[in-house]
Amino acid sequence: MIRLENVSKKFEINGKENTVIKDINLSIYKREIFGLVGETGSGKSTILRLMNGFIKPDDGNIYLMGEKLNRKTRHQLVKDTSMIFQGFNLLSNLNVIDNVLLPTKIRKGSKKENINRAKELLSFVGLEDFHQSTIRTLSGGQKQRVAIARTLITNPKIIFCDEPTSALDDKMSFEILRLLKDINEKFGTTIVIVSHDISVIKALCNRVAIIENGRIEDIISLKTKEIKPVSYKEALLGDD
Amino acid sequence: MIKQYVETFINFKEEIFIAFYETLDMIFTAMIISLIIGLFLGFILFITRSDGIYRNNKIYFIVSSLINITRSIPFILFIIVMIPFNRLILGTGFGVHASKIPLSLIGISIFARFTEQDLLDVNKNIYETSYALGANTIQYFIHFLLREARSGLILSFTSTIISLLSYSTVMGIIGGGGLGYLAISEGYYNFNYKLMWIIIILMILLVQIIQAGGNLIAKISDKR
Ligand SMILES: Nc1ncnc2c1ncn2[C@@H]1O[C@H](COP(=O)(O)OP(=O)(O)OP(=O)(O)O)[C@@H](O)[C@H]1O
Ligand SMILES: [Mg+2]
Repeated sequence: MIRLENVSKKFEINGKENTVIKDINLSIYKREIFGLVGETGSGKSTILRLMNGFIKPDDGNIYLMGEKLNRKTRHQLVKDTSMIFQGFNLLSNLNVIDNVLLPTKIRKGSKKENINRAKELLSFVGLEDFHQSTIRTLSGGQKQRVAIARTLITNPKIIFCDEPTSALDDKMSFEILRLLKDINEKFGTTIVIVSHDISVIKALCNRVAIIENGRIEDIISLKTKEIKPVSYKEALLGDD
Repeated sequence: MIKQYVETFINFKEEIFIAFYETLDMIFTAMIISLIIGLFLGFILFITRSDGIYRNNKIYFIVSSLINITRSIPFILFIIVMIPFNRLILGTGFGVHASKIPLSLIGISIFARFTEQDLLDVNKNIYETSYALGANTIQYFIHFLLREARSGLILSFTSTIISLLSYSTVMGIIGGGGLGYLAISEGYYNFNYKLMWIIIILMILLVQIIQAGGNLIAKISDKR
């Protein structure tokens, strides 16, 4: 589904070239939930940006759904993917349903069907009563659910998530993770998730790459378990 | 007292209406040109800045300098300097039509700078978001950047119109006419202070109306 071949990326920081991603090889398979963990500045977000073609590697090749990413193909290929951000990145000047509809504005399709689908998705993420709400009035968890509905409206084959829960408290994080898992099971969507929170990764991922200093240190397969809600009390007393 | 002002107004009714029409004519044309070209140049400034998506120092420097030069020359001198240019474009250096040229240029400069600032106020992550959701650069401008910046742009455009109104008052020196010219020539130089005050109050009302209209439209378009 996603393949990185000998990918390297340099950035110029204060006039000095700095190799941020160093010769990465990686394959992520269809329907997989793949995690990227690592310290701050290790290059996780950069890897996601390389994978969706937002930035281009200095060396190596990246393939999405079997096709090579380059300047010509990237706008087409990225349309079959979507992304969820730590800061939600909703348009503050659009209401909830218009935010969800935004990706359809840059694609062909019937307006009526899109609106129906947006309503369906808002119900799916538990926001059926918030169609006309302004973004400012929503909680963090609700904003992230709007962002998730927005990614789903184009039926993406891959969803990239960059720290999707780190701006949220535990309860809201759980809801978002549950939702991502449901999406993966229901639609067979491949999910690549970046997080520095090990419990998030453990709850969700089939495989995890540990990133250190722009390199893949290790790739680990996990047995995923049921995602359970925890109350504050359980979390404090439990030994997990 | 009031009666005398009303009399003056009635006596000069025709002149005032003509001058009012001239003012509207001048600023309306300048307004439309400023909107289109100013917005375009503002975008150019925004994308070619050192932190822009199509960074280009040369283009930024040229556009930015032209804007600064236009804005830094005292406007009365700018009008005079522009006379040969008016002649080149319109065949005449004087009159209401010729006045539209310096007025448009100053409007373009003001609104371009405002636009750059308004676009800078939009959250930077919108560009990456638009790409990740499948937008190309044009779609990023239309569906993301303009949407987020629109209420700021509306207020900026309102300020630009008001500046144009105030700049238009000195167009008399190249025969542009208008309310300002009437107030100065008939009112001040002819010692008709009542007429001068009537026009001042008219101008104040005009600015109030424009600002209130701008605020209203900006508010409606702002969902934040
Ligand atoms: N556009 C850029 N220009 C210059 N340097 C950059 C750019 N993007 C990232 N970097 C640098 O690349 C390195 C990796 O950044 P990246 O954002 O990928 O880290 P990360 O693993 O996502 O960190 P975090 O957990 O803090 O989000 C950092 O040293 C960062 O300063
Ligand atoms: Mg990051």
